[in-house]
Formats: sequence, structure tokens, C-alpha cells
Amino acid sequence: MSDAHVGPGVRYTPYANPTYRRRDSFHRGDQTRGNMERERKPPEGGMEGNRQEGTSRTWFKITIPFGIKYDEKWLLNLIQSQCSVPFNPIKFHYEKMQAQFFVENASTAFELKKVSGKICNEDNESISIFVSPSPVPYFEQKEQKSTKVKLIKKTKIKEYEVPQQALDLQRLHSDPDVMSHDIEMGPNLRNCMAVSPRIHEENMPKVKSEGELDKVKGLEPEEMCADRNPLCTTFPDKSTNISSILELFPKLLRLDDHEVPPSIIFGIEAYKKLPVCKGSVFGSETLKNLILQFLQQYYWIYDYGDRQGLLVAYHDEACFSLTIPFNSEDPAPSSLGEYSKGSRNMKKLKDSILRVQLLKHTKRDIVDFLSVLPKTQHDLSSFVVDMCVQTEKMLCFSVNGVFKEVEGICQARVCAFTRIFIATPASNSSLCIVNDQLSVRDASPTVTQGAFSTPVPIPSSSSVPTISQEQQEMVQAFSTQSGMSLQWPKKCLHDSNWDYTRASQIFRSVHSEVWEFRPTCNQGPTRPLHEVIHRPDNKNSKGAKVLAIFIILVVLPLFSGM
Amino acid sequence: MTMSMALTRLYLDKATLIWNGNVVTGLDALANFFEMLPSSEFQVNMLDCQPVHGKIRVFQEQATPSQTTVLVVTSGIVKFDGNKQHYFNQNFLLSAHSTLNNTVWKIASDCFRFQDWASS
Repeated sequence: MSDAHVGPGVRYTPYANPTYRRRDSFHRGDQTRGNMERERKPPEGGMEGNRQEGTSRTWFKITIPFGIKYDEKWLLNLIQSQCSVPFNPIKFHYEKMQAQFFVENASTAFELKKVSGKICNEDNESISIFVSPSPVPYFEQKEQKSTKVKLIKKTKIKEYEVPQQALDLQRLHSDPDVMSHDIEMGPNLRNCMAVSPRIHEENMPKVKSEGELDKVKGLEPEEMCADRNPLCTTFPDKSTNISSILELFPKLLRLDDHEVPPSIIFGIEAYKKLPVCKGSVFGSETLKNLILQFLQQYYWIYDYGDRQGLLVAYHDEACFSLTIPFNSEDPAPSSLGEYSKGSRNMKKLKDSILRVQLLKHTKRDIVDFLSVLPKTQHDLSSFVVDMCVQTEKMLCFSVNGVFKEVEGICQARVCAFTRIFIATPASNSSLCIVNDQLSVRDASPTVTQGAFSTPVPIPSSSSVPTISQEQQEMVQAFSTQSGMSLQWPKKCLHDSNWDYTRASQIFRSVHSEVWEFRPTCNQGPTRPLHEVIHRPDNKNSKGAKVLAIFIILVVLPLFSGM
Repeated sequence: MTMSMALTRLYLDKATLIWNGNVVTGLDALANFFEMLPSSEFQVNMLDCQPVHGKIRVFQEQATPSQTTVLVVTSGIVKFDGNKQHYFNQNFLLSAHSTLNNTVWKIASDCFRFQDWASS
């Protein structure tokens, strides 16, 4: 087989005094770093001379967790003893608890990966090796610059920057100018010569190994013909060979006249992108309706009613806790005043007694706690729901959204929240909450702008004219018995021509579901609203009872004396 | 073993991850998913947890006795390579499996979302 397309192999020696940039600065997708963008290359590994960015080489970072325990020489010898190929560790160093070094060769990295778990320390604990692609370790710029300048001069003369020319590495490597240079790879090198670091004449291996392709990798060819190359000699079979080539040349679209499937290209580290973010996950239309209805009912009471009304929504043994974020770098007291008192953020709260106290247990405690939190108005249209678990007996879902504070000094401030509900299905398609976790934070400006754009359908008191004393009392009674705040009962009574019975019927028909939280898991039957309104003899009309007694005991005797 | 493989071992066979609205179910899918994610650096600013009411079982199998389940809630900041940093919220349901010798906790469900997911 001819070796028309590959040159001699290379041997690398550790570089002196390298300095490292943060990994971020090398990332290809990051436009702000300037010279990172890839450019299209002509087929057959050809390149466009001085536009080449010599940054995407096959450097790999080898990490040994807890490697700080081991002596460098001992560790490297141990790894080499199990590694089927010789490797040259570049820049061995310890970082936190790890030992790290770099290798410049994909096949070496492959072999090193295989050693993971096959070596043990003196206590017979197995040692793991993690391998990940790495940007080029950055070396001293001074040395690099001078080399770069020199090479550019040379290459211009040598015409290596002629585009559309198929790269003939053989030619390249026999170029004495290239061969004599210790070329350091770095992100600023702008010519094709940067592809070939440290080529020494004496290193003319007999085997045309994959190492040679490393040099071409920086060119990012989109089409290659490997089957005419002697690459195959190092690998047992063609498929391994092909996978290695694909690993080395992530932009390859055609190999040996076949198209490369996108899935292979996609999987490579260099192209890792975040998945597209999507909206709510409900699982099914039925569940969506169930959850939305639940949330509507829950927040109706939470925002406009007496929160004691939420007792029916919780299991006897339910748990609730609340948190606000804590940034250890900025531990100033949060502006979320009322919430911070009850925050059970365990990153901040270390006191174990407080931790227990702030986990509200039993529905009574929960509802009492909720009742003292600031009054709110939630924007249901902002809600995004993730339905995490659904089984026959359990639903777990999280709700993200915004709310406004409607009274006090923080009025109209918009907060964002995430609330996780774990609930069991109850009768009448409602839910019984067993766990409830609320985290509150200040809303970001973009979120605040978009919030509450949908008008909230709550009638305002200004639409109802002044009412008489008797009507006031009716409103008060309706409010007490229904648990709704004064605005709504007023409107409802007004619309029903101050017919109390009719008003309660209207209310019931509109909000009947609200009162049918009937958790069978824990308590006795709950009375529906209409029963509550028409039977004065219940806990909601304690006030009426007291009044009656007062009248009987105090007022009547006064009359009888007349 | 790669990092993503190590992460996958923390999950139950039938576990589900919802990642910014993307649903990933089962260990193979999880392994692929983590493999696809760029490298990341997390900073946790909030942590809370609650015991899940005793009678609730997540993925109960016939052979095992009732499982203890814990809800873990966390939030903070994450920076994925090549992307700007995001505030995130994440909650886990952890399920304990006890054998004679030990108890193993595994993730039954994992729900992750950027706080600014809509503008990502």
C-alpha cells in the first residue's frame, strides 16, 4: 500500500513551563473568543493555508481521581505497565484531589481508558482513569509567537497556503524548515504548519499509525479516503479503524465515498450542545386537566380566600417546607423578608433543631404557617408544570411561576417560585397533598415584565355602588361562611339582587369543585358549601352564636324592664 | 468508566429525568443523555428535603418491602461548557432499597429546569 497521504510519526517530549488557560476559552461555540470558528475545508484533507486555526487537535486530558495520594513516577509506571501502548504524559500535575496529565493522541487515550480499574494501589483499591478530550494545553506565548512569525514567513514562500490543494503530508514532513522547528500548538497560530508540532527527522516510524492522522486533524477535512492509506495496519478491523477516524475528524461528512451518519458526528465531545428547552410536561391530557384544575382551585383560595380553607386540601400527616436561595458569596439578608424567617435552606441553616421546627408537619401546622405568609396574587398563565411521577397512588409535579405581593411595603413586587407537590388522588377528581415544598426568589427583570399580562378576572369593588348597613352585614356573613374575601361576596350578592339564597347558589355552581376536596385518606366528610351556608349551627357561625347569646342574656332583659 | 456512566448508576432502572421539558426514561436513554451533555460546573445555593409520606411507594416492586422515599429540592447556578450560566431548580425523589446488609438510595425521578428556560 502506498503511503501517499501520511507522513512520519512523531514523538513528543514534555514542554517546558507550560501555562494553562481555562478550558472555557477554547470552546468552539463561544464567539467571544474570536479565533475559534471553524471554517469549511475542501475535500481530501485539503486546506486553506493561513486561515487554518490550529486549535482542534486530539489532545486528551487523563484524570485519576484521588491521584494526589500517589507519587507521580509510581503512578505513571503503574499505568504504563497495564497500557498496551507507550504513552508520553504531558504536563503531569495535581489538581485538588486529582492527578492529571495530557496525551496528544486519540489511540493512546483509548488505550489509557482501558487501563481504568485494572490497576490497584497498595491497599488493593482499584484506581480509575477518566479520559476526556481537551483543548490544547496553552504554552508560553513568547516562544509561540516567535515560532509563529517564522513559520508564516516560510509558508508564504513555500505556497502551502494555496487553497484547494490536497494536503500531501509527505511533502510537508520532508520540508526541512518544518522538520527543524519545535512548533508549539496554540490558539493563535494561524497557519497550516501548526498542524505539525515537534516533528523530528529521526522519528520515521515504520508503522503508519493513527498518530499521523493527528496532524491532519487540525485541518478538519470534510471528506477523506482512508481505504487507500496504510492506517489499517494498526487496527484489527476496518470498523475500529473507521470509528477512530470519525473520532479524530468530527467534521467528516464523507468517508471512502460513503456519507457519515449524523448520529456519529453528533456524539462527539467537540459538538456537544444543550438540548432545546421545552415547556410543561403533563404526561397526558387527563393529567393536565386534573393538575390545572387543582392549581386553579388551590390558588383561588390561597390568593383570594382565607387560607384556612386549604385544610381540606392537605393530608393529616402532610409535610411542608419553604426555602429562599442562599448564595454563600453574598450572604446579605434577603429582600424576601417574610419568607426568610421560615426558610429551611439547609445550605444556610445548620441548626438541627431549627431544621426540624421549620419542617411543618400536619395540615394544621401547615395551614397556620401558610396563613401568615404575605398575601399574594399568582399569575396562573405563567405556570409551567413538570409532571415528575405518576403512579396509581401518587402524583409528583413541580410548578414554576410568578406571583405578586398585594399588600404591605413590598406591594406589587413580583416574585418567582417553584413549588413541588406530591399528592394522592382523592374522590371527585381532586388531590390530597402529602408533601409540599415551596421555594421563592426575586423574579428577574425579564420575567417581571412578562408577568400578569393576562388580566385577572376579579371584580373590583368600584363596580358596586355604596350599600346599606343591612347589605353590609349580609356581605360580612357571606364572606365568613364562604371563606371568600369581601370583594367577591359583595359582587355576588349585588348581582343576585341581594337575595342571599340565590347568591349562595351562584357561588356554589361556579365554585363547587373548590369545596369538593374530599381526601378519603385521612379525615371525615367535608361539608359542601351549600350546607355550610344554610346551616347556621356550625363552626363557621360562631360569631352568630355569640351574638344570639348576647342578645338573649343582655338585650332582652333590658327590654323586659321597660 | 466515563463520568456519565457513573452518574447513570445512581438511577433506578425505571427512573425518569425531565430536563428542561425533555423526558428521558430508562438507563440507556439516561446514559446517552448524559454523554451528550457538555461538561458542567454546578454551584448549589439551596437545599431542602422532606420525607415522603410513608404509604407512598415509587415504583414498588412486588418482591421488595415498602420503600422509603425522600424528596430533595435544590437550586443554584450551573455553567455548561460553551453556554452562558443559568440559575436552575432541581428536585429528586430518592428511593431506598434495603437488603440484609445495606441500604442503597437511588434516584427514582429527577426534574431539572433552568429558571430562564424560556429564553434559552
